[in-house]
Amino acid sequence: MELGIQATCILILFPYLHSSKVSYEGIYQEQALKDYSYTRYHPMEEIYEWMDKVKNQYQDVVSQHFLGTTYEKRPIYFFKIGEKSDKPKKVIWVDCGIHAREWISPAFCQWFVKEILQNYKTDAKIKRFLQNMDFYVVPVLNIDGYIYTWTTDRLWRKSRSPSPFSNCTSVGTDLNRNFDSAWCCIGGSRNCSSQTFCGSAPGSESESKAVMELVNNKKNDILCFLTIHSYGQLIMTPFGEPGKTASNHDELMEVGQLASRAVEQKHGISYTVGPPSVVLYNYTGSSHDWARDIGIEFSYTFELRDNGTFGFILPEDQIQPTCEEAMAGVTTIVEYVHNKQFGSAAAATVALWSTVLASYLSLLVLVQ
Amino acid sequence: MRGTLWIVLGLFPLVDGHPTLKTNQNSLETADAALNHQSGSLNSVLHLDDTEKAALEPTRVDPAFPMKELNTSHYPATRAARVAQHYLNYHHGSPSKWFMVHDIKKASSEDIPEVGTKYHVQFSVQEQATKEIVGNCTAEILFRQTEEQSAPEVNCTCDDLLKIETSDADHALYHHIKHQPEPMTGMDIPDSQGNIPKEMEPFWYLGGIGASFIMWQQSNESTLYNMVHVHSVKQLNSENDLLAFDYVVLLHDMVSQEIIHWHMQVAWNPTQGVKVTQCHLLPKGTMKQPSAEKHKI
Repeated sequence: MELGIQATCILILFPYLHSSKVSYEGIYQEQALKDYSYTRYHPMEEIYEWMDKVKNQYQDVVSQHFLGTTYEKRPIYFFKIGEKSDKPKKVIWVDCGIHAREWISPAFCQWFVKEILQNYKTDAKIKRFLQNMDFYVVPVLNIDGYIYTWTTDRLWRKSRSPSPFSNCTSVGTDLNRNFDSAWCCIGGSRNCSSQTFCGSAPGSESESKAVMELVNNKKNDILCFLTIHSYGQLIMTPFGEPGKTASNHDELMEVGQLASRAVEQKHGISYTVGPPSVVLYNYTGSSHDWARDIGIEFSYTFELRDNGTFGFILPEDQIQPTCEEAMAGVTTIVEYVHNKQFGSAAAATVALWSTVLASYLSLLVLVQ
Repeated sequence: MRGTLWIVLGLFPLVDGHPTLKTNQNSLETADAALNHQSGSLNSVLHLDDTEKAALEPTRVDPAFPMKELNTSHYPATRAARVAQHYLNYHHGSPSKWFMVHDIKKASSEDIPEVGTKYHVQFSVQEQATKEIVGNCTAEILFRQTEEQSAPEVNCTCDDLLKIETSDADHALYHHIKHQPEPMTGMDIPDSQGNIPKEMEPFWYLGGIGASFIMWQQSNESTLYNMVHVHSVKQLNSENDLLAFDYVVLLHDMVSQEIIHWHMQVAWNPTQGVKVTQCHLLPKGTMKQPSAEKHKI
């Protein structure tokens, strides 16, 4: 009897399902993505699957693109998130997982994507962001290293490429010392067994080379370059080289302080703002220094929780609060950069009504 | 001499017009003005309070006096305070009590010719188990100029810190361990996801307190240490009323980014506190790295 009722329900509902363009496959995928936990750490194969589901469910605003390959020949993908447009759009760049052991970083990129996509239809601010800009998000850059932290060594940092020197058997280059910005001058090592080995040349690593190629091509459109790390609770401006400051250093600091305030308002956690050369240590060859060097005006490295209690091995129960506060900080910077380029919503409204009024007045004059 | 120094320090706020400071203040104001001009709606958003403006200012140097006021968010202050934290933990920590520097209130340094650099730091302290801000400390940390690594000399006084009462918890733990049929053992604390079983927490704390001794001894102006992992802990036989444990701990130095392995033996009872009875550095690659859990589907 029950089976008969179920069959009848399906028969009645079938035309509606068919006409509303909600396919059975679509329902299945939506449920699967809904079940994805953003408060757990995920191994790489789950992140690849998650990317597939996201791009399929949010086809209106998401496309997945190939950035490059890792040393071990794995594809590195990024999302392009924004309202589709025929004209080139301004870009916000966010990358995560450049250092393998910093698991909270890829967790944040997944959180960030989820927040944007779950709220862009209802949140006026995010809606405006996606209308005017595209977010380029790389959930995991150092995929080989990340996988290695799951299979073998939880505290691995570097890439997994072999040493370029015959007399050195250690593996891996520090991707954040491999960028073409005063490469290997300071804070990076020529010793291949060091955690900060800069590689054999700037961009010797396929992962950092892939970032430099794409970002360089789009540099005139990129408003802001954000790279996410842990730990240390810092919002770092360029540069890592002592004494070198960006021409817009003061503005970068002020916006950084705004972001830090927004972070603290969430859960009371204090993030220090400043260039690495004063708040952390001296180093060159980093991605955010390189981005500033090529002319991207806003460039920040975030170091997320914590301050040394757990360090890299941050408990899963801290994923949510960490991502919430980081989201607040990142959104503050994105909003500033967006409003500087496009004007604020309030200013846009004023401009719109001014245009309407001007048109009405000129019409009146004409009619007279 | 000391009195003169204090008077001088007291007069510092009256000293004004340092060229470097003024320039930065001007450029701050210019940047503010430029931004205000650009968009009226940004006006209210960019107003920084005094603390934030202070954080943007560089270190003040007055060549007439050796004492240099430090920006409390810059790394010289952070590193010195971290050393004081390690010292504090080793001397006052326990399996129920582990301190972190919460906020650095004030910091200064003085170069002592042919001796080294002495830092003066005032900071508030947070206790890890309760997350409470438990008091303020004032510390002097002297980093000697030596060719080989030598432990920084620390003088640290805290108000109210020692009043935190954990002796009940410590005694309960002590008796619990003493009356177990088998010596305890543990590995991989925390696991890859950061989990620590409740019963292992005191051993994680104890490892942290023992590691604080090593981190204090190994610190200099170019290091910033944290314990990131307890690879293994094993209870040892002990004939006296001290409990003894054999640990392998992983320390992270933020400046070099290296992970270093230390083997240590730790003795503890609630009345005598924690003592590291022996320790040595393990060469790189002599042991398996912390294993990551197989991922959960």
